[in-house]
Amino acid sequence: MRTVITGVGIVSAIGNDSSEVLASLRNGESGIGTMRYLKSEHRELPVGEVKMSDDEMKVLLGVPRERLVSRTSLMGALAVRQAMKDAGITADEGLRIALINGTTVGGMDITERYFSELKHDDTLLPILRKHDCGSSTKDIADLCGLSGETCTVSTACSSALNAVILGAEMLRSGEADIVIAGGSEALTKFHLNGFNTLMILDKERCRPFDESRAGLNLGEGAAFVVLAREGETQGRKRAYVSGYANTCDAFHQTASSEDGEGAYLAMSRALEMSGLNGEDIHYINAHGTGTPNNDSSESMAIKRVFGEQLPPVSSTKSYTGHTTSASGAIELVISMLAMENGFIPSNLGWQHAMPDGILPSVGAVSRQIDNVMCNSFGFGGNDSSMIISRYALRDIPATDSGVETETVSESVISGLEQLQDSKDIISPRESRRMGKLLKAATLTSCRALAEAGVDSPDAIITATGLGMIENSELFLEDMCENGESLLKPTLFMQSTHNTIGSSVAIRLGCHGYNVTYSHGADSWAWALRDARRLIQSGCAESVLVGCHDESTQQIDEFCARMECKKRPDVFSRSVVIKRKR
Amino acid sequence: MEELVEELKKEIIDVLNLEEVTPDDIDPAAPLFGEGLGLDSIDALELIVLLEKKYGIRLATPSDGKAIFKSVNTIAEYVQKNRKK
Repeated sequence: MRTVITGVGIVSAIGNDSSEVLASLRNGESGIGTMRYLKSEHRELPVGEVKMSDDEMKVLLGVPRERLVSRTSLMGALAVRQAMKDAGITADEGLRIALINGTTVGGMDITERYFSELKHDDTLLPILRKHDCGSSTKDIADLCGLSGETCTVSTACSSALNAVILGAEMLRSGEADIVIAGGSEALTKFHLNGFNTLMILDKERCRPFDESRAGLNLGEGAAFVVLAREGETQGRKRAYVSGYANTCDAFHQTASSEDGEGAYLAMSRALEMSGLNGEDIHYINAHGTGTPNNDSSESMAIKRVFGEQLPPVSSTKSYTGHTTSASGAIELVISMLAMENGFIPSNLGWQHAMPDGILPSVGAVSRQIDNVMCNSFGFGGNDSSMIISRYALRDIPATDSGVETETVSESVISGLEQLQDSKDIISPRESRRMGKLLKAATLTSCRALAEAGVDSPDAIITATGLGMIENSELFLEDMCENGESLLKPTLFMQSTHNTIGSSVAIRLGCHGYNVTYSHGADSWAWALRDARRLIQSGCAESVLVGCHDESTQQIDEFCARMECKKRPDVFSRSVVIKRKR
Repeated sequence: MEELVEELKKEIIDVLNLEEVTPDDIDPAAPLFGEGLGLDSIDALELIVLLEKKYGIRLATPSDGKAIFKSVNTIAEYVQKNRKK
């Protein structure tokens, strides 16, 4: 079976649809500039904003102005509607249409706007239901009339590409007839300040792969692709999805390893799946953030995969900014536009070669481009790579649904008191950066693996409703109460949902598949389905699956005022799933 | 100077949450990164925040911290010379 892309939608700093984006790329016009819509003190930081206010997007979508919808959902809905129109599908075709969204910020733009007032104003409490990633995906589905399955993948900056990978795998296993997959992420003060504490934001326009590069510029946007099995779709085939891989650098929460091991594995395995050789790749859309660390690590990884004969490589982040969780889909759409129109987008702003770095393309036209590789890497070393092609390549075997799986071990922590005896597994040096959730997740993971007799699993899958909410709340509280300076980098570094799964991978040195689902109460079910799919497709023998969530005093208080059930202080369940013998 | 060294030790333990480390465990002349306390790049960012918050000293890039954060003594010397509060 083969997966095809039949339609795309995109909203970004360089255009509100694919024709505008194409024109900007061809004309070398960047969308990065002075902040206009985000209300942050850090006006010195250039950003890649979508050039529409929330209200303007609501008008386009026909949503009443007073309806509370996050910017993430608004942009996502615009992109999904475009993609459906482009593919010529409607929501009521009697087909199983799934929507997979990649996001990390979710409804944070709303939460941060009202956080201080929430503490004493009961009328504002309903906005908290918009906070989690899963709710922003459900809002996108609602705004597009989609009533089928929805899911949210949250692996920080690689979320959207991992959403597309999940979509392709769901088609392969027959779980859906059509998947609309991609990602959406709005700029927020929360992550702008977070990246600022890490001192990786450039005050000038970013210069990926340039010797003088001094960091990234944040951007925002959304992009979605419509995926279908070849032969089952009436619409046009815009591209084939011919290879992909999700791996983990397993090195550090925010830095990439010097030799780019995770990126190397992602690119090599994607090539292996496609059956292509390095010279068959005619363009690489690099992750290329513009930080000193990413660009030197990615250069190293690209050279390890492609040797001396590198295909043209460019990063398009100096056009769009780093659109974080949406970037994988935004750049996949850009890759497809480059392939269809036979041009290499220029690595805007590049002037000086970096020592040992790749020499990026300054742009080219009238090229025959048959296969493009798109890289998308995230915090925690969640690295993914995808290859799309103009022509059909090898047939990918369907998942073998006859393969049975079994849970071979389980470990559960359901209260703070059970974290007492952790010293045999967690040293004081590790413990200093771990909140209760990371401790619990580490303990249950290690215990489940030990019981199963597995040193390092082939895959690590995490399910979490609210993720690292204690750290997020502390950072948010500090920012809202004390202003946008002197915030703590450690809190932000460990605020993304994929912190949990990647920290387990770092401890185990596990470079295999690593993904995080954050789709409310359904997260666990999605994680289990993924584990089964991986085993049935022969990609994994043993999979560590964890479900981890925590609460805080503040959340308990919100829950009490909203008359909802109290959440557990900490809850962690880890299981090891294997192929049944 | 000695007073500042002692104050810095306590601050470092506090902001970096160094459980089970006491000020007496820290040799003010010993390297803080790699060996010694084994701090990493994120700790360096926390120390940059500490310098600004407590002493009003602002570093422009993380690489400025390399020479300053060699040991508690080098931090103390830098703070002594550059403090604004």
